[in-house]
Amino acid sequence: MATEAAMPESALLRWVRAEGMAEIEQYRRAGGYDAARRAATELTPDQVIEMVTASGLRGKGGAGFPTAQKWKFIPRAAPVKYVVVNGDEGEPGTFKDRTLIEGCPHLLVEGILIAAVTIGARKVYVYLRREFYRCRRLLEAAIAQARGAGFVGERIFGSDHAVEIVVHPGAGAYIAGEETALLESLEGRRAMPRQRPPFPAQAGLYQQPTLVQNVETLCHLPVIIGLGPERYKELGPPVLFSVSGAVVRPGVYEAPLGVTLRSLIFEHAGGMRPGRRFKAAFPGGVSSVFLTETDLDVKMDPDSLRQAGTMLGSAAVIVVDDSADMVEVMARAVEFYRDESCGKCTPCREGTAWIAQIFERILHGHGRTEDLALLEGIAAGMTGTCFCPLGESVPPGLVASLRLFRDEYERRIAVGAAHGR
Amino acid sequence: MAAEAPRAAVTLVIDGREVTVPKGMTVYQAARSTGIDIPIFCYHDRMPPLGACRMCLVEVHKMPKLQTACTLEASEGMVVSTTSPAVRAAQESILELLLINHPLDCPICDKGGECPLQDQAFRYGPGRSRFIEVKRDRAKPIALGPVLVLDRERCILCWRCVRFGEIIAGDDALKGFERGFASEVGTPRALTVESKFIGNAISICPVGALTSRTYRFKARPWDIEPVASTCAHCGVGCSIWLDVRGGEILRTRAREEPEVNDVWLCDRGFLGHGYVAAEDRLTNPLVRWEGRLQEASWDEALGLVADRLRASRERGPGRVAFLGGRRLTNEDASAAAGFFRDLVGTPHLDHRVDSPPDGASLGVSWGLRSSLDELGRGDVFVLVGCDITEEYPVVWLRIKAAIDRGARLVIVHAKRLEVRRHAHCELLDRQDRIAPLVAALAAAGAATPPESGDVAGLAAPPAESVDLAAAAATIASGERVHVLLGRFAMDGPDGPDLLRSADALARRVNGTLHIARGQGNDLGAQRFGLLPGEGGMDAPGILRGAAAGAFDLLYVAGSDPATAVTDGAAWQSARRGVGFVVVHEAFLSATALAADVVLPVLVLPEKDGTVTNLEGRTLTLRAAVKGPGQARADREIFDLLSARMRFVLGPGTAARIEPDGLAISGAGAHSGDVREGTAPFLIVAVADRLFTQGSMTGRCRGLSDLAGTAHCLIHPADAARAGVTDLGLVELATEHASVVVQARVSDVTLPGQVIVHRGYDGVPVHALVRWSPVPVGVEIRPVAPPGGEPQ
Repeated sequence: MATEAAMPESALLRWVRAEGMAEIEQYRRAGGYDAARRAATELTPDQVIEMVTASGLRGKGGAGFPTAQKWKFIPRAAPVKYVVVNGDEGEPGTFKDRTLIEGCPHLLVEGILIAAVTIGARKVYVYLRREFYRCRRLLEAAIAQARGAGFVGERIFGSDHAVEIVVHPGAGAYIAGEETALLESLEGRRAMPRQRPPFPAQAGLYQQPTLVQNVETLCHLPVIIGLGPERYKELGPPVLFSVSGAVVRPGVYEAPLGVTLRSLIFEHAGGMRPGRRFKAAFPGGVSSVFLTETDLDVKMDPDSLRQAGTMLGSAAVIVVDDSADMVEVMARAVEFYRDESCGKCTPCREGTAWIAQIFERILHGHGRTEDLALLEGIAAGMTGTCFCPLGESVPPGLVASLRLFRDEYERRIAVGAAHGR
Repeated sequence: MAAEAPRAAVTLVIDGREVTVPKGMTVYQAARSTGIDIPIFCYHDRMPPLGACRMCLVEVHKMPKLQTACTLEASEGMVVSTTSPAVRAAQESILELLLINHPLDCPICDKGGECPLQDQAFRYGPGRSRFIEVKRDRAKPIALGPVLVLDRERCILCWRCVRFGEIIAGDDALKGFERGFASEVGTPRALTVESKFIGNAISICPVGALTSRTYRFKARPWDIEPVASTCAHCGVGCSIWLDVRGGEILRTRAREEPEVNDVWLCDRGFLGHGYVAAEDRLTNPLVRWEGRLQEASWDEALGLVADRLRASRERGPGRVAFLGGRRLTNEDASAAAGFFRDLVGTPHLDHRVDSPPDGASLGVSWGLRSSLDELGRGDVFVLVGCDITEEYPVVWLRIKAAIDRGARLVIVHAKRLEVRRHAHCELLDRQDRIAPLVAALAAAGAATPPESGDVAGLAAPPAESVDLAAAAATIASGERVHVLLGRFAMDGPDGPDLLRSADALARRVNGTLHIARGQGNDLGAQRFGLLPGEGGMDAPGILRGAAAGAFDLLYVAGSDPATAVTDGAAWQSARRGVGFVVVHEAFLSATALAADVVLPVLVLPEKDGTVTNLEGRTLTLRAAVKGPGQARADREIFDLLSARMRFVLGPGTAARIEPDGLAISGAGAHSGDVREGTAPFLIVAVADRLFTQGSMTGRCRGLSDLAGTAHCLIHPADAARAGVTDLGLVELATEHASVVVQARVSDVTLPGQVIVHRGYDGVPVHALVRWSPVPVGVEIRPVAPPGGEPQ
């Protein structure tokens, strides 16, 4: 980890990397729970919201909505409010939330407490991805420790606040990471997204005002209060990037917002694997449109990426090298959406399956020249017609691949034709 | 209503047309209100919008994306296009996607000709498909129950059927399984579908995915003549279409009637037409000659009946009695009442054939004391011994809708009802202890459990889940409380006490007490005078009188007392004690078999006329098909008899008795004495069921399958003690009789109580009990060895 020494001070990962952070004593010795104590006993909700506003914190789940603004949507006077933690980290290539919980579960518990006392929620549900068995064990242990210390339960930190935290394992559906589908699943129904409005902030879990927040977003809160928003912003503000694929050192990296794609790949992650050339990278999970070599110097922040025709999403950088066939890469992505479509709306349910069938045919050497126009046609039919972002994620990447790597598709089709059908 | 504030209006432009609609309406509704069609699949106007099928996409000026018209609220100044190029392209895309995996088997599909997918593909579809892959291949059709058949290839996953069960019926009969392109509709745990409303799911399916075994491949919509009529099975009086082809009713569908059934129907109504075309309908009069019922001409049969009536009149007045009315039209009932009351000259008339003398049924007029619409606006519902989905299913849909708006349901019963998961409180106790339970509930602010002193010291288990105070508080919290008193409670012991308590309970909260009693056209029979006149005997009295030789002639129409009388022995001795029995019947029922003259009659779907529903509403019947052979309408038979006896039957001679006001008579007021002594360890309670095998229902395909075999419900604790296994055959033996039925081990019933369902012809459960004393103890013995093959 030679390159890490050259990195700027890490605000989040230092908690994760330190030894023994699953134990409350260790966490408290390092200053843990001071921020939550202040939020519960010293600061008013307005002061906390003020700090979060000043920090510029945006949701880390993918949509990038300003966190403080979301909190302001929660009606103050509502008698029952919930915080729901989205720990259903399922976007391909994304593993920052798991890293945070496994490394320092107390950081999440502290973030939860800050959010709960600020919006006045007495009950918090952590919707945790089913496969995160280790996370669940560690998080439940951390909650128990925090309860023992008087930080969870009635009168936390000796204040008038009461916060209960329930960990709820999901049932293995990508779509449950979509906040309204998550609420459906939490209520015991099939995970399918809900019509908005009403938004969860107005009528969410059990039709009560609900703050749905990603794990990483909540983990930023103790850091913001601990360092103060100014210092936090000076650090970038920091973002956790999950870098995976054809790099030397895949992993979670903390870097300032706006770091270049080149820096992430070639400095943080150690560059491409020996003898391989960079070909493409998804900057924000499979849902984002991939970038190519000409885009390497794009800044990894929401605005710059939007200008580049893609998005920061969950900041999951999946790197593809020159050994990969883009038709296969796209086929894999489309299969993922086909398998994870919830089945609620027609274009996503039928369109992803149809596109996957066409890809399968092309990969088996039975492609037709007109299939490329057909793929574009199906993509056009799905664009703007799907119920939720899952289905809408498919056309942009597909269309970009058809534009930028059309030769690879054509080669596949030509080879298939040459071998006879 | 008067206090309702005028709703704000919004004006928008749809396809260049300016529309003003109330605020809160969706763009889809606004378009429809001005005659603009927007295609839909998943949206159904009785359920909240879902936005799943994406067929109703429209373009809205200044909105970047197309919007689903079904979910988008119309707002002021909105400019909407339903025909722009972008909208047309989206419609073509959605239809292409819906059709790529659809089998396109329209030529053999029941839905063909009345299929929204077919119609919209024609109107909005792309015309040709670009799909060359292999279509989704699923085993089909699959039976989800005796009636419901699913074709997963035709299904377009609009979720309507699933949401009907979740939102309208509240039974979660069908659910979505798997994910994405593998999604499919199915039943929880892959069991047989459990619903009393599945016909509605079939009806609202926008494709041929859900079909009914009774109608599959029977007809094409364009070959069918729909006849607007009324269902007269349970007494709610749902408006229906009887779909007729070639002189046979092939299908029953709900006909929209907002005041009664809205657009819904229960499965008894949905499947309840098959008996009309049964092969064993009576087609000729039968007369008992030389001890045998033999075919006779109408002339012979009517001559004989007229002679007997004349002879009886010569012996003195009041020596003829009439029983029945449930299956008559209002006109038939009026004619019967006029004929017997005014011309034959007897006060002994009663339609309440199935009422025991000690219960509450004879002490009160039957029916609802408000309209169904008003009932649906209640905020607290108390079901006292009323198994609403087994007895009046469509009424439940109104209660369910009210619960969704915040109303509360309190159940007082001896059975864990299907609707209990929607209940706020549930008070459970054995049938013989419901009356004291209601009494305790009626005592305002009563927080103590019901006094059970008279059964103290018995091994009988104590009341379960009794939270009387909570129930009383819930009831007291209501502003529009509706108490529905059902047959199960009314026919139990201490009927008059129960009635007074229920009345007191309703009065205390300024609520309404409904007598949820009567099936078919019982309310019409009540209204048009088929009740005891001055000095007349009620139904149990007539039977006792007949047994004692008080009558020369017993006349039965629109009823089957041999199976309906709740004390089987009482009917037997009545039959033995009366010289001559005349029966109007469509089938050779148990009563007909015991008759001296059987006159073949038309059934309700063969008659023009009216019936009266539970709320007293007059509803129209229209003859959908002709009757078989020489069968005649009941009214016509009374006309013919009048003529033959040189009577003139004038119109409107029958006394009308309106069911308003709660006149509690002193009938059966000797309660109390019957409950002395020890209550038996295990009692038998007879309950109603929606799906039965009676003389009509048993002849309806689908319905009799749903009814299954005659059975009893026994609590697991009692089953274990008696060595009874689930689904094994058992003998139920009381001191009066024994019957063999299937045992269903279930905690739907309570410990110490075996529930037997009536309505299975051929299984005389009414022989098990006597009118008094009640409750009746029962012994239960396995017939087949445990694990052995039943039957």
